[in-house]
Amino acid sequence: MQTWTKLFIIAVAATVLIIAGSYAYFQSLIGTRLLVSTTTSLYETGLLNATKQAFEVKYPINMAFIAVGTGQAILQAQGGSVDTLLVHSPSQEAQFLAGGDGICRKIIAYNFFTIVGPPSDPAHINGSSVTTALQKIVDYGRNHTTGRIWVSRGDGSGTHTKEKSLWAKANFNYTQISAEPWYANAGQGMSQTLNMANEFEAYTLADTGTYWKLSKDGTVSLIDYITEAKDLLNVYSVMAVNQTKHPSVNFTNAITFIRYLISDEGQELIENYGKDTYGQSLFHSTVQLLKQNSTLQIVRWIKEYAFIKEDNESYECPPQYRDSRYPDLYA
Amino acid sequence: MSISSGLIAIFLFFSIDPRIIEITLRSLFVSGSAALIAALWGVPIATIIAMKNFHGKFFIKTIFNSLIGIPTVALGFLLFLAFSRESGPLGFLRLLYTPTAVIIGEAILITPIIVSWAISAIEAVDPEIANLAKTLGASESQASFAVLKEALEGIFLAGIASFNRAIGELGIAQFVGGFIYGQTELLTTGIWIELQLNNIGASIALMMILLTTVFTINLALNTIKRMRGRE
Amino acid sequence: MKAIAVLKNVTRTFTNRTVLDKVNLQILTGEILTLLGPNGSGKTTLLKILASILRPTDGEIYFDGVKVTEQNVERMRMQSTLVFQKTVLFNGTVYDNIAYGLRIRRVPEKEINYKVTQILKLVRLEGFEKRSARKLSGGEQQRVALARALALDIRLLLLDEPTANLDPKNASIVEEVIATVNREHKITIVMATHNMFQAKTLPQRIALMSDGKITEVGTPAEIFGKLSKNLASFAVVGNTFAGTAEITEDGITLVDIGNDVQIAATAQSSGKVSVFISPEDIILSKDRFSSSARNIFKGRITEILDLDSVVRLKVDVGKPFIVQITKRSFNDMELNLNTEVYLAFKASSVQTI
Repeated sequence: MQTWTKLFIIAVAATVLIIAGSYAYFQSLIGTRLLVSTTTSLYETGLLNATKQAFEVKYPINMAFIAVGTGQAILQAQGGSVDTLLVHSPSQEAQFLAGGDGICRKIIAYNFFTIVGPPSDPAHINGSSVTTALQKIVDYGRNHTTGRIWVSRGDGSGTHTKEKSLWAKANFNYTQISAEPWYANAGQGMSQTLNMANEFEAYTLADTGTYWKLSKDGTVSLIDYITEAKDLLNVYSVMAVNQTKHPSVNFTNAITFIRYLISDEGQELIENYGKDTYGQSLFHSTVQLLKQNSTLQIVRWIKEYAFIKEDNESYECPPQYRDSRYPDLYA
Repeated sequence: MSISSGLIAIFLFFSIDPRIIEITLRSLFVSGSAALIAALWGVPIATIIAMKNFHGKFFIKTIFNSLIGIPTVALGFLLFLAFSRESGPLGFLRLLYTPTAVIIGEAILITPIIVSWAISAIEAVDPEIANLAKTLGASESQASFAVLKEALEGIFLAGIASFNRAIGELGIAQFVGGFIYGQTELLTTGIWIELQLNNIGASIALMMILLTTVFTINLALNTIKRMRGRE
Repeated sequence: MKAIAVLKNVTRTFTNRTVLDKVNLQILTGEILTLLGPNGSGKTTLLKILASILRPTDGEIYFDGVKVTEQNVERMRMQSTLVFQKTVLFNGTVYDNIAYGLRIRRVPEKEINYKVTQILKLVRLEGFEKRSARKLSGGEQQRVALARALALDIRLLLLDEPTANLDPKNASIVEEVIATVNREHKITIVMATHNMFQAKTLPQRIALMSDGKITEVGTPAEIFGKLSKNLASFAVVGNTFAGTAEITEDGITLVDIGNDVQIAATAQSSGKVSVFISPEDIILSKDRFSSSARNIFKGRITEILDLDSVVRLKVDVGKPFIVQITKRSFNDMELNLNTEVYLAFKASSVQTI
């Protein structure tokens, strides 16, 4: 039986060698890695790959994205498995900060969600307010027994969270209506949800970035009926995973990345992304806008929607969730 | 699928797009390593189970047999929990979202296939082969190797089957690999993520490569088997 | 003569069943010893123990005076080799099969090459090196197995029913090789058989086995002498019958073996005898035809055993006879279970003991 013992030792050694070897090999390829857990809409528009390319030219840091819904992104960050979060769900972000897992929140961009639907507009929502439009869609769904009229992301993403808040605002019980036959849960990313709505000739809530991309290249023939309403505001923020709570994270690089995103160069990149392809910006920069504290309507909307309330005051990032070592982030 | 995405797919398939090549090579490397590791472990385990008589042998064989069907999603999720940097027992290895994690995961996934198939292959060998080797002077372990050699073709088939299972699975690659652009994207996760990005052309190209790889390997294998059979 | 191997009180049990019961036996250097006994008498187990691939439950074995123990059993295996009754071959070429044991012994490849050529010549399979072993005919396969054993230059060769499944042509080649290696290479041979002819002609000594015991050991003449009086236990051996012989007026011996079957034999004997008819000497036909054969019986086929080029049939004519015919004639005659057939054999083909 000695031979078997030897064989096992060889098997163990070879296994360890292959695993260690592949690990070393991939690490050498990857170098210093900054893991960014991000919402699918940012990833799917291609903005993040553009950012990655520009960022890696300036810094010896390897950016790696994991595109998931905001819900899962927060779950990963809470496990300390990622270094940075790029999301768009203010209420979930506030909870995340309050849990002590996140730090150094910065609002980096905004755009609008849009309610899109088939060109025939069967529920006649064109020109309605958000609330009325949702009401009409529900009425239509309940009065027509065949098919689906509404497709939801259904994946716990920022877009999904937004959709739920819109239903609440229109006085619908989300749990109840999501179980009704005209309501379809996609459980997929934005592109696939739009494709599904296109197939079903149904309405859905989409971020403008992804919608324009798919609309432009002819993948979907859906029309954006309601845009740029206050209720449809979509605000993107970045946060570092708190090193005090999760010592293993790559904190310094996370700060470098945040600094880059709010720098003039980073903001310009966000503002200009997609202009060549779509003729208009997919995302708008926010840093200068908020710094100037202008009285513009959009600034008021952002503050109301995406700021976090703390002791009757609202902040982009409440003071206790900032890092005193990096005061420049909020200068 | 529009005609244009079909054309893009064909273009990407035949062009030498560096990204597609990178994903393909990474996939081959990851699944190949997984199959190798699983074989390193699985064949000795199978040999012992097949050649020794002990209590609970049938039970162990049944366990390995049923593990063949383990859903990749379940295994992927379990590994995700295990590899999570802080909460997971293996988090300290910092393997989550690396190709290495996928190699380990796929190796675990396919070990039952190798073990079960190898057991069948070894048990199918004439039981007198071990005795024959001994009459010719072989020691216990040399006799076991003689049996193993007889079972080699079956074991090799098991290796190929597991490679195919590894290269075609999505769950583990998604959970512990995380389809990171340029780092952990594999053929299966590539198909998925490119679809999410609405790059249907790239998805189709990756799918064609995946199918071509699997078919080519199986075809080559069957041809070799046929040629050997005619010998 | 010096003993090459000695068994002392060797006992072997398999889960409550005693297969060998306190066997004592000396194997003398240079002899051919035949283990003769019915199936299940323990011949194969005894050979496996001599080959050191099976350990006795109790008792001792000595090789050249050295006791075989758990510690040295793997080394002792090198002293002898066993050729199984059922041919077992490694998957691979004839060359690979013959080279296996030599490679285990770390013989240089060049020497292996030479040896394989020589040994293939001996078993009349020249030029078969590159052939796929398992694609050969049954007889050729058994000769490869024999060659593989002979290549090892061991001093003790163990053979389990070496010709039992062979057609006459292959059987005679194998018998010739056995005689040659014993005579010219001085290899000691222990051979299990229930072929009475082989037992009569090949060995210097015969050990009779029944129920896991060795009942008699002696020269063929001694053994067959006693055998005639004590044949009951040997009825299992094919085409061997006990009966009462009577010499008729025309000089022929008639042996009544019971069930109204009377066999005519040329040998002169009377009283209690055993008769044996080689299965190859029996002619089988579907119709009764007149011939010079003195023995003609009508019966039915009760068993069919396919042996590659030949087919072995059991025919019940009142007593069961084993008949061997070629595969070709078997197919041409469209034989089946229960087919009615006639057996014919000459009185001179009947061996009486």
